[in-house]
Amino acid sequence: MTHVDLDPAAVRPVVEARLGRDPQDMLEAAVVLEAWEGMGGGRALLAGRRLMSTAPATAERSVAKLPRPQHEPRLLRDGAAFVIVVIAIAFWAAPLTSDLGVAVVRDALTVALSLTLALQWALRSRFLDHRGGLLELARHRVALVLAPGATVLAGAVALGHAGTLAALLTVTWVGGTILLRRNWPLPYVTIVLAATAAMAVGLPALDVVRGAGVLTTLAAVAALRPHELEPPPMPAAARRAERTACSAAIGAGVGLMLVLDPSVSWTAGAVPALALAPSAVAALWGAAELCRLEPAILRGLAGVPVRGARSRPRSRPALGVLLGAVGRLLALTAALSALLLLTPWLGDSVRGAGVLAGFGLLALASLLVGLLDSLGGSRWVLAAVALGVGVEALVRIEGDVPFAGVGLVAGGATAAALALPALVVVLRRSARTVATTLWIR
Amino acid sequence: MSGPAPASEPRADRPRVLLTTEGTYPYVMGGVSSWCHQLIGRLTDIDWLVLPIVASDKRRRLFTLPPHARELARAEVWSEAPPPRRRPRLGARRGSDALPATLVRHLIGWRGDPDAVIDAWTACRCDPAIVRTAFRSTRGWELFLDVLRAVLDERVPEGGVPPELDLLEAARLYQTLYWVARTAAVPTPGCDVVHATGAGWASIPAVVHRALHGTPMALTEHGVYVREAYLAAARSDASPGDRFSATRLARGLTRVAYQSADIVAPVTEANAHWELGLGLDPDKIVVIPNGLHVPDEPTPPPQTKTVVSVGRLDPLKDALAMLRVAAETLRRIPDARFVHYGPVQEGQEIYGRSCRRLHQELGLGDRFKFMGPTDDPRRAVRAADVVLMTSISEGMPMAVLEAMGEGRPVVATGVGGVPDVVRGCGVVRPPGDDHGLAMAVVMLLRNPELAWRLGRRGHRRLRRLFDEAACTERYRRLLLGLAGREPDRKRTVELEMTA
Repeated sequence: MTHVDLDPAAVRPVVEARLGRDPQDMLEAAVVLEAWEGMGGGRALLAGRRLMSTAPATAERSVAKLPRPQHEPRLLRDGAAFVIVVIAIAFWAAPLTSDLGVAVVRDALTVALSLTLALQWALRSRFLDHRGGLLELARHRVALVLAPGATVLAGAVALGHAGTLAALLTVTWVGGTILLRRNWPLPYVTIVLAATAAMAVGLPALDVVRGAGVLTTLAAVAALRPHELEPPPMPAAARRAERTACSAAIGAGVGLMLVLDPSVSWTAGAVPALALAPSAVAALWGAAELCRLEPAILRGLAGVPVRGARSRPRSRPALGVLLGAVGRLLALTAALSALLLLTPWLGDSVRGAGVLAGFGLLALASLLVGLLDSLGGSRWVLAAVALGVGVEALVRIEGDVPFAGVGLVAGGATAAALALPALVVVLRRSARTVATTLWIR
Repeated sequence: MSGPAPASEPRADRPRVLLTTEGTYPYVMGGVSSWCHQLIGRLTDIDWLVLPIVASDKRRRLFTLPPHARELARAEVWSEAPPPRRRPRLGARRGSDALPATLVRHLIGWRGDPDAVIDAWTACRCDPAIVRTAFRSTRGWELFLDVLRAVLDERVPEGGVPPELDLLEAARLYQTLYWVARTAAVPTPGCDVVHATGAGWASIPAVVHRALHGTPMALTEHGVYVREAYLAAARSDASPGDRFSATRLARGLTRVAYQSADIVAPVTEANAHWELGLGLDPDKIVVIPNGLHVPDEPTPPPQTKTVVSVGRLDPLKDALAMLRVAAETLRRIPDARFVHYGPVQEGQEIYGRSCRRLHQELGLGDRFKFMGPTDDPRRAVRAADVVLMTSISEGMPMAVLEAMGEGRPVVATGVGGVPDVVRGCGVVRPPGDDHGLAMAVVMLLRNPELAWRLGRRGHRRLRRLFDEAACTERYRRLLLGLAGREPDRKRTVELEMTA
């Protein structure tokens, strides 16, 4: 730009034309003059400095650009797979009880449900809930093969048949979690449906479960071949071990709440497990709604100036999403539970509305504590779950209950009631949550 | 970060140089990586320790280090990996909450104090656990916001008026400063000289090492870090707040690097103007131009009316201008051919697509081919009658040196050190002068004898001024001088340059 002198009046239109706006500072003006007008570096810096001395002194208001929302198109398919699996597994109770006896199956389910939830929460925390986690998990394929065997061995040594069955169920369900996360629902659904059919035609139930466990493990290992996994946009990195342990404890707590209520008999045919279906389906819908939460939180921060006298983030979008998720979960649980109650062939065996309400409240508690945990409120979550377990244990000790499922209702309601206000507080100060918790690993 | 650096004992007989890189060697192909590889490969009397700072998805090493060089555990930024778990020292927690505020005040503020940044980084290195503790704390965030407000209230004429950042942009800046602090906490092994290959993130561990151990620090600037950051921001569609954060951070990092470095070695005098303009002490500047191995005699051009360009597809290379130049050239010489070698720069996929779109709109078809990356740029330019470069920012581009080494005339934009290099061996036009560039290409394609004459002149000029051996020898003397193995180090280099 040898033809333009250093006079700001001459330089300004050139810079503004290139940028389409005022320059931010002298350096920006200088790079424009050098890069697009061919001015030497020294002259460009001088011209930039002179230009800025005459620049208007008004601050431009900035609004952050929001990241493009990520869609989860697989949610519906994975949800459907999950429901099919829950219903199919519900039909395992009768043949297992028939082959192994009520006590064995009851003990096995009590252990398996708690252990499975603990492992699922731990796996999600350490690997499955973050980008690149599957690839990191794939690096532990040998452990994935050995761990199920070790679990079954430990179960058999500790609890005999009950332990073996508990371990096999745990292996199957945890393997299924990996397959669903890997976007391989079909193998898992096929294995479970085939096992259900095999039990229905009278094959030994424990052998069938053993086969299902082995097949699910092999499928999970096959699904985790590293070269078939998408290279992550971020590195495959595991979370802290203590964080994983905390998640496992929360999962175990939720599992305990599920099995502590003595009025729910998991061995009375398919019905008790079927009673889980309404809350499970509703929880999926609620969780799907929560996918909108992070964009809503960020939307509440964009455009709120840090210099404002009351620069509080707008919490309404995020709270709206939370309310929507809770509302969906409760409404769908109620609707599906009513449908279940009104189904004539199930009759009284669903053990009344109390159990269904209890499962619904437990699903709500699980949704809320999961969310609060992901937003950095792990300690509060642990306390809420511990209190929920404690309340349910008290009800169990009390013995004389007004209706079936009262322990579930009390435990679930306690945990949900403790988690909900904490969540509201976290979402109301979302800037801090995003800055210090979500974005600082 | 991907783990602590392996400890090793310093050797008395050979100097050890810690080379820090940012997003380049040995994980990314490009001019700076080639330069690093060439320098390390030729300076065999030095033990090299390479500390790469890379984005988290760069996992495949593209260069094999020679036996006298060793890669340290690389530092990853923006990874999901948590920092090594340690508890802060007793009492360290109390003061550490101010770390984010200190960094925003002195790195982002126009009048920030580089020494305060160095002190803060040194504290991070001495007690890495304070970094996460400070940035996770509520008080850390609140102090950060208070200071950020003060920074936004700064009114310095040359600094302009900062935009009104919103809370989301503030949170993004907070996260970026967290990664700066984590990079400062990266362990570095004992060495005789630290050599940063850029004034940005690569300089952070070097600055900390120097502050802790008093080890001399050299800084090579291929481009000018701050200039390239501003150019990238000016061309991006980022919000004013994010643009402000990115550019001010680049300026802050550069000021700290200039403050710490004992020697700053730009590859061209044109960069030195910028460095002086950014407040660098002129006594620290030693210009060391890039060098290239030059073949004895160049082969004549193929006379196929082929124009070759080599470089990443990104806004700094202004590939859109290249396409326009090609279109104008082809209107006059329809049987000419343009061939471009180079990948789409990561993060510039949209720009890459816009290049394809313009290629289509201009109807260039097979007459302009994007060949993708090449591992043999010299062979690529050998197949040219003319080599074209349309960058809007350069230091001393290897592509131009390679063209001259092969005896090909260069048509280029006059940015950075290009006019000094190409003088008399091609045509230099101001950036943005697409018509002028096209006319130069047309002239050379229509006059192959002139093109060949300019090419041979370029070859001779390269041998005389930009020889690889001379370049590496200058670095050898500089580094050995800094390591205390040769006295009066700076004078030696300066005298050579003058000669």
